[in-house]
Amino acid sequence: MTSAEISKDMPARPAAREADEGARLGLRLTLPAQLLVLFISVFPLLMQLYISLTDWSPLSGLGWPRAYELWNGFANYVDVAGDGRLWSALGRTALVMVVCVPVEFLLGLALATLFADSFPGKRVFYSILIMPMMVVPAVAGYMFYMLFQSGGPVNDILSSLLGMPVTVAWLSDPMLAMLAVMVADIWQWTPLMFLILLAGLVGVPEDQMKAATLLGASPWQKFRTIVLPRMKTIIIIALAIRVIECFKIFDTLFIMTGGGPGVATETISVYIYKITTQDLIWGYVAAIALVILLVLSVACVWAIKRMARKERAA
Amino acid sequence: MRRSPAFEAFRYAAILLACAITLVPILWMVSMAFKPIAEWQATGADLTWFPKEPTLDNFRYIFGESGSNLIVALDRTAAKPILSSLLSASLGTLIAMAAGTSAAYGLSRFGAGGNLPLALIQLRLFPPMAVMIPVMMMWSFLNLMDTWWGLALIYGIVTLPFAFWLMKTFFDDMPREIEEAALVEGCSRGRVFWRITLPMMRAPLASAALFVFILNWSDYLIALLLTTREWVTIPVYMASLSSSMTGQLYGAKAALGLIAAVPPVFLGIMIQRHLVRGLTFGALKQ
Repeated sequence: MTSAEISKDMPARPAAREADEGARLGLRLTLPAQLLVLFISVFPLLMQLYISLTDWSPLSGLGWPRAYELWNGFANYVDVAGDGRLWSALGRTALVMVVCVPVEFLLGLALATLFADSFPGKRVFYSILIMPMMVVPAVAGYMFYMLFQSGGPVNDILSSLLGMPVTVAWLSDPMLAMLAVMVADIWQWTPLMFLILLAGLVGVPEDQMKAATLLGASPWQKFRTIVLPRMKTIIIIALAIRVIECFKIFDTLFIMTGGGPGVATETISVYIYKITTQDLIWGYVAAIALVILLVLSVACVWAIKRMARKERAA
Repeated sequence: MRRSPAFEAFRYAAILLACAITLVPILWMVSMAFKPIAEWQATGADLTWFPKEPTLDNFRYIFGESGSNLIVALDRTAAKPILSSLLSASLGTLIAMAAGTSAAYGLSRFGAGGNLPLALIQLRLFPPMAVMIPVMMMWSFLNLMDTWWGLALIYGIVTLPFAFWLMKTFFDDMPREIEEAALVEGCSRGRVFWRITLPMMRAPLASAALFVFILNWSDYLIALLLTTREWVTIPVYMASLSSSMTGQLYGAKAALGLIAAVPPVFLGIMIQRHLVRGLTFGALKQ
C-alpha cells in the first residue's frame, strides 16, 4: 500500500494536506544544501567575472571592490587565447589523461577478470590491491618522490634486473619526470578501475557464460558478446570518473616535481596554482578559470543530454 | 566454474605481482619512517629495504625531540597540523553529512530539490583550482583564512555531492513500509524522519560519514591555499619539512606520511562494501 492509499482511509489526514506537508518538508530539507551550493557558485562566479575584466591583483593596494579602477575590458580574455604556457599545460594534462586512463582501465579490467570467481585468499588480495587509492594523494606523491631519487629503490631494482648500476635522475629529466608522474597516477588509480569494473563483472550471469562455453565460444567472444554489453554503463562511468579526476591532477604531481623540471610536468592545475601564488595576476587567473568553467559546463551539459537521449532511444 | 591448474597458477602469479607492485611504495615509506638519519640517503650497496638499525627517532623528531644533532630542531611540531587535519576534516564531514543527508531525504521522498542534483554533479566536475581565487577573497573577507573552521566550511561544500548521492541511494533502497506505518499512527513527516528513518539508517550514515571523512582528510590543494601558518594541515606541513638548510628530512617526512596514511587506509578497508557506491556517486552498488 502506498502512503496515498493509506491516507484515503484516514479522514484525519486528507491526501492534499499530506502532500502539502511533504512538499514543505522537502523544501526545508533541501534548503541547507541549496544555500551552500549558491554560496559557492553565485558569489565566486560574480566576483571572478568582475575581477577578470580588470588588472586587479592582491598587490595592487586596492580592495577588490575597487577593482573597476583597473578596468581593462576584455584584455585578459584576449591574452588567454594567446597564452602559450596555458595551452602547453592543457596539452600535458591531455597527455596524462590519454596515457593514464587507458592503462588504468586495461590493468583494472585484467585484475577484475582474475577476481571474477572465488579462490582462496581472495579477500586478503582484494584488500591489498585497493590500498593505493586510500593513501592520501600528497603522501603518495612523496612515496614516489623517494622511489624515483637517483640513488633510490627504483634505480636499485633496475640495477639488479639489468645487472649494471643505473643512476637515472628521473625527476630532473623532462621526459622521465612525466613518466614518473604517470607511473604514480597509475599506481594510485588502477585500484579504482579494478574496484568499479569488478563490481560490474560480478553482475554477469554465470549460466549465460556456461552456455556460451558449451557452444564453443572463445574467451574473447564471450567477453565481447556477453560481458561487454552488460558492462557498458559501468565502463562509461569508470572512464568518466577518471577523465574528470585526471583533468584536475595536482597533489601527487606537485609534490613529486612541483611542475618541473622547468615546466616539463606543468599541468593545468599546477599552472593556475603557480600564477595564483607566484605571479599574483589574479584578474588574469580569473579569466582563465572562467574560460575553463564555461568549457567544462558546456561539455557536461552536452554529455548528460546525449546520455539521456541514448537512454530514451534504447 | 572449474579452472585448469595452469590458469590457477597464472592467476596467483599475476595477483602476487600486482600485490608486490602495490606494496613496494608503501613498504618503502614505512621502512624509511624507521630508518636512522645515517640510512636516509643510502645508495647502491648500502641501500636496504629494511632499516638496519630501526629507530623511533623520526617520530620523536617531528613531535619536538631533536634526537640527532645532525638536524636542527623544528620550530613547529607535527602536533598542531595533525589536530588541524582532524578538526577540519571532522567538522567538514559534519557539514557535508548534515546538508547532504537532509537534502537526499527531501529528494528521495518528496522529489524536492529542483536542479540540486545536477548542480552537485557540476560542483564535482570543476577543478577546485578554478574557483580558488574568489574563495580566497571571500575567506579573507570573512576572516576564515588560516583557520581550521574555514577549511571545514569549504571541505563541507566540496564533499557535499558525495554525501548527498551516497545518502540518496541509501534512502532509495530503504523499504518504506515502516515509515508509512508510523505515518498511519499519526506521526508527522518530520518526526518520522528524525525518530524512525535516521535511527534506522545508522549504519549507512556511519559508512557515508567515514567515506566523506577520508576525502576531507586527503585534501592538499585547498589547505595549501587557505592555510599559511597557524592551522596548516598534515600534507602542507609535510611539504614544509625541507629547506635549503636541512635538505629533505626523508625519515621525518616518511614518519609523518605514515601517520597521515594510516587512518584512511584503515577506515577505507572498514567500509570496503560501500566504496564503489561512494566513488561512482551511487550509480553502482556492490
